[in-house]
Amino acid sequence: MASLVQVENLEKRFGEVRALDRVSFAIDAGEWIAIMGPSGSGKTSLINILGGLDQPTGGRVVVDGQDISRLGERDLTRYRSEKIGFVFQQFHLVPYLTAVENVMLAQYFHSITDEKEAAEALKRVGLGDRLDHVPAQLSGGEQQRVAIARALINHPKLILADEPTGNLDEANEAVILELLRELHASGHTILVVTHSPAIGNLADRRVELEHGRLARIHVPSIAKD
Amino acid sequence: MFLRIVSDSFTRKPRRKILTAAALALGMAVATATLEVSLDVGDRLAREFRSLGANLLVTPASDTLPLEIGGVDYRPVDAGAYLPESDLGKLKTIFWRNNIVGFAPLLDVPVNVAAGNAAKSSREQLIGTWYSHTVTIPDGSRFVTGVSATDPWWRVEGRWFSDGAEEAVAGAGLAQRLGLRAGSSVKIGAGERARTVTITGIVSTGGREDNAVLAPLEIAQDLAGRPGQYRRLLVSALTKPADSFSQRDPATMTPVEYDRWYCSPYISSISLQMRQQLPGVDVRAIRQVAEGEGRILTRVGGLMWLVTIAALFAAALAVGATSATTVLERRSEIGLMKALGASHRAVGAFFAAEQLLLAFVGGVLGYAIGVVLARVLGIGIFGIAPTLRWILFPVVLALAAIVALLGSLAPLARASHADPAPVLRGE
Repeated sequence: MASLVQVENLEKRFGEVRALDRVSFAIDAGEWIAIMGPSGSGKTSLINILGGLDQPTGGRVVVDGQDISRLGERDLTRYRSEKIGFVFQQFHLVPYLTAVENVMLAQYFHSITDEKEAAEALKRVGLGDRLDHVPAQLSGGEQQRVAIARALINHPKLILADEPTGNLDEANEAVILELLRELHASGHTILVVTHSPAIGNLADRRVELEHGRLARIHVPSIAKD
Repeated sequence: MFLRIVSDSFTRKPRRKILTAAALALGMAVATATLEVSLDVGDRLAREFRSLGANLLVTPASDTLPLEIGGVDYRPVDAGAYLPESDLGKLKTIFWRNNIVGFAPLLDVPVNVAAGNAAKSSREQLIGTWYSHTVTIPDGSRFVTGVSATDPWWRVEGRWFSDGAEEAVAGAGLAQRLGLRAGSSVKIGAGERARTVTITGIVSTGGREDNAVLAPLEIAQDLAGRPGQYRRLLVSALTKPADSFSQRDPATMTPVEYDRWYCSPYISSISLQMRQQLPGVDVRAIRQVAEGEGRILTRVGGLMWLVTIAALFAAALAVGATSATTVLERRSEIGLMKALGASHRAVGAFFAAEQLLLAFVGGVLGYAIGVVLARVLGIGIFGIAPTLRWILFPVVLALAAIVALLGSLAPLARASHADPAPVLRGE
């Protein structure tokens, strides 16, 4: 079976600095990958390129059969709305929109809004009773769940989560991890950038970066079980 | 969703929105006032200029050279050509008929004037004309005209003669020489013909009329033996200031240019239209008046435009400043939208819609303030409020939209082309 994501000799340079240096790996559909590494190892550059927010300097990235390293601005915009679901560390919800409207915002940029479907997505993440709350009325964990509902609403091929529990306390971290586990179980392909060994151990594989290079790909024992 | 975001964004940070709308309103108020006044100023100044005298002179095309000494035509009445008085109504049928504010036919007759019962008479000039005469237009309507319309500033002690009465006014110089005053009776003779008229007033014009007798045209025609005829016609017309286009030879114009020229109230195009209606005439512009008028109108118009442009530019700068702050504050929201798949155009549309809403509010307020301002200016300058032109309302709204969009062009471009990655990382 062809991989959903193929990263081949990926390079990203910022002047003299090599943020990514000939990184290659693949992600199968339905797989959960954790990208780990110290600060400055190239994790953010990698997730930005995979999410179509940045372009590589060299190499190529193929997602769902589409070489995104050669896409123009307009096609990258479409790629982001159709194939990627983002979950950010800072949640990035629009402060004046309600939970359901925040989810509908992703629908709006994808195609058309459907409030019923957006409400269903929030119910799936346990926020059925918080539909009309604005972010300021939600806890950090609830905000991140809204962000996950928003990431899922357009049925993306790949969910990219950048430190999704980085701003959460333990209780909320557990809720988000459970959600990610459920998503994985239901067949979603997930790539999580994290410093957390707990998340790393939940993933099918850990891709570890050091100084922009692929240091190792680790298969946690818990995943093998 | 679009309306939800735009409406919410519009009501946030009300103080900044009020400032932006106020800047736009002020700019639009000045624009409205200057446009209202400058659209009116042309007509009004032209009318003011028209009070200084006629700007067109009509003479027979086949006339002999005038024998004028000190402005007095000394040709004998049987020399030269004459024009039919009955054609004059046609002047109000030309394309720019509404711009013809008045005309007065003149017939100069050398006469002998004897005051009262004096046996001795002196050789003087009689100018036959209309003071306030009703002309029947070919369409059946009536038009009152005469020197009261072409030269309203002529001062008369006493009163003007009534057209159709045995009355006349005497020029100030002539009255002094002959000892005439209002109520004097004078006998005016030319050859075998003679009329006795009552002097109703003494006129001062500063021109040749000061040494002549001015009488109803009919009396002059009778004395000259030229019933229904006149020799010169003074026309007062509202004209557009002369420019390089108006001075071109119509024969060298393309059909489109010719139509444009013909349908503009240039003194040259009005002259042509008059020649077409009054066969056999020669129409000349009285240059000094026409050119002075053109220069002043052009300068006043230029000043008005300068003030308007400066006000709009200031409004655009204010809009740009507040818009830049808004975009800076909402970087994170913009980055998120881009990450979710918003195109440049979609992001730009949110901000542009907000600016257009502000432009609408500023435009409506500015128009209302501008109308009041225009009234104050109009009354201050011309003693009368300018005509309210509703057509300016959509024009001002469109101007406000253009100013708001142009002013926020740079911030809008920055918003729509924002790179989402660094914004989302909080950089």
